[in-house]
Amino acid sequence: MSGPAARPRLAAATEPVEQALYEIRRKIYPRAVGGKFALWRWFFVWATQIVFYGLPWLVWNDRQAVLFDLVNRKFYIFGLVFWPQDIVYLTVLLIISAYSLFLFTAVAGRLWCGFACPQTVWTETFMWIERVIEGERLKRIKLDQSPVGARKVGLKAAKHGAWIALSLWTGFTFVGYFTPITTLAGKVAGFGLGPWETFWILFYGFATYGNAGWMREQVCKYMCPYARFQSVMFDPDTMIVTYDGGRGEPRGARSKSADRKAKGLGDCVDCGICVQVCPTGIDIRDGLQYECIGCAACIDGCNQVMDKMNYPRGLIRYATENGLKQHYSTRQMVKRVFRPRVLVYTAVLWAIILVSGLTLLNRVPVKVDVIRDRIATARADDPVVENVYRLQVMNTSETARRFEISASGLQGLSLEGEPQPIAIGPASARTIPVRLSAERADARPGANTVVFTVKATSLDGQEIVVTEKATFIVQ
Amino acid sequence: MKAQSLIAILWPSFIVGGIAEGLFFTVFDPMDLMVFGEPLGWSRTAMYSVGFFVFWAVCAASSAFTCFMQRSSAQINRPAGGAPSGRA
Repeated sequence: MSGPAARPRLAAATEPVEQALYEIRRKIYPRAVGGKFALWRWFFVWATQIVFYGLPWLVWNDRQAVLFDLVNRKFYIFGLVFWPQDIVYLTVLLIISAYSLFLFTAVAGRLWCGFACPQTVWTETFMWIERVIEGERLKRIKLDQSPVGARKVGLKAAKHGAWIALSLWTGFTFVGYFTPITTLAGKVAGFGLGPWETFWILFYGFATYGNAGWMREQVCKYMCPYARFQSVMFDPDTMIVTYDGGRGEPRGARSKSADRKAKGLGDCVDCGICVQVCPTGIDIRDGLQYECIGCAACIDGCNQVMDKMNYPRGLIRYATENGLKQHYSTRQMVKRVFRPRVLVYTAVLWAIILVSGLTLLNRVPVKVDVIRDRIATARADDPVVENVYRLQVMNTSETARRFEISASGLQGLSLEGEPQPIAIGPASARTIPVRLSAERADARPGANTVVFTVKATSLDGQEIVVTEKATFIVQ
Repeated sequence: MKAQSLIAILWPSFIVGGIAEGLFFTVFDPMDLMVFGEPLGWSRTAMYSVGFFVFWAVCAASSAFTCFMQRSSAQINRPAGGAPSGRA
């Protein structure tokens, strides 16, 4: 085989460009592996999936605990209710997530990718189903190469059936975050799903089935933006999955009893297990590659082989570039975790979390917007000037409140509107029309500033006062 | 069209379309939107869903244009008397 570099230059004009840019995908049959890191991954699979599938069923304050109620434009997250006006908190959440990713990546590479990313987690689950139904790696390769027969069709149908069932459940759960899941379940049971609910369940289900069943490592290699820029967050003291070439080379097969020193061999027995277990199909012995998702399956695989050979573990291990070069001990490497870059990331992250947490705690649960009605202004010869406003009053928390509205800023200013106090239910808003009037003599011609004061009283007597400025026009 | 370029068009536009959808509908309530001076009379769910596909389509058009402009001269210069070699 000749690589692109070995190809004659003229060929570039006739060869399809795609061949130079992308290799043809070879199907990867990852071998199952056990060990410390595989256990950690399963732990995270369970933890994230229990949260994902379970959270929409949780009840809080007699409603779904986590509900992104798009239809009513309100997000409920446990005791908190977010309105579109609270978009700043979403921004803060995204900043916190991005910073956490920077921090984790600087410390230990692609921990997110290897253990918690939905793509990894669902691929792991789908591969488990595949393994249970079709068997281990060699059996799967054989099955795919075998001619079509009753057994092959049966196994494939069972696998895809199980995948589709899980995908549909995933799609259902996803939609359950946006529309109350108990109602949704009732609709599914009674075949009464709306067209959009059906569509989004199928859409998300199809995405799950396609990504975890078929696309797998290609999502990480060709679709994930993080895979492309994660290397800028690495430095020589970042812990990454590394093959210790100094210890392993020259690699070569040998019997268990052979004296490797006498044969002039390193510790790598060239069994290829590290390549077989790799979900992205790379050879970690070629060094750090952007395809490596840091799942550490090769560490588990290699350690098993080292144990069999009675060699020390850790030929492939978490190590830093500096650590490998300078032969640092694990303690020395861990000490370098606390370097300026990591400390600055941590400090900034905590600062953002603290500030946003405090603002969230001190959030005023009452919001007022004043809109002046442009049409209704007074005639020039009236002794009394009137301005009409619409007050949008939002009770953002989950307690009912009574509202009293008053206005000030001009002498003799009087307010007319509906009878007060005005009751507004939990997490609700109302638009209240009010009319302000003042003697022409008491106001300047043109714009005058008036202040609306809205006093909200909850049932247990807690009072909140919100003021909002508005313009009073005298023509 | 090759599957790779299809992904290169549909995938980034999916992401950006989703972000645009989120920002747009955070600021504007679909119930307040007028189409040629008339309210549309659709449910919010329908407006969000259709809105997403409109954003996705617009972004995909942009991605497709980028892909179209990035074709190499080898892909544009067809040899005399037929399609370029190696492609259908």
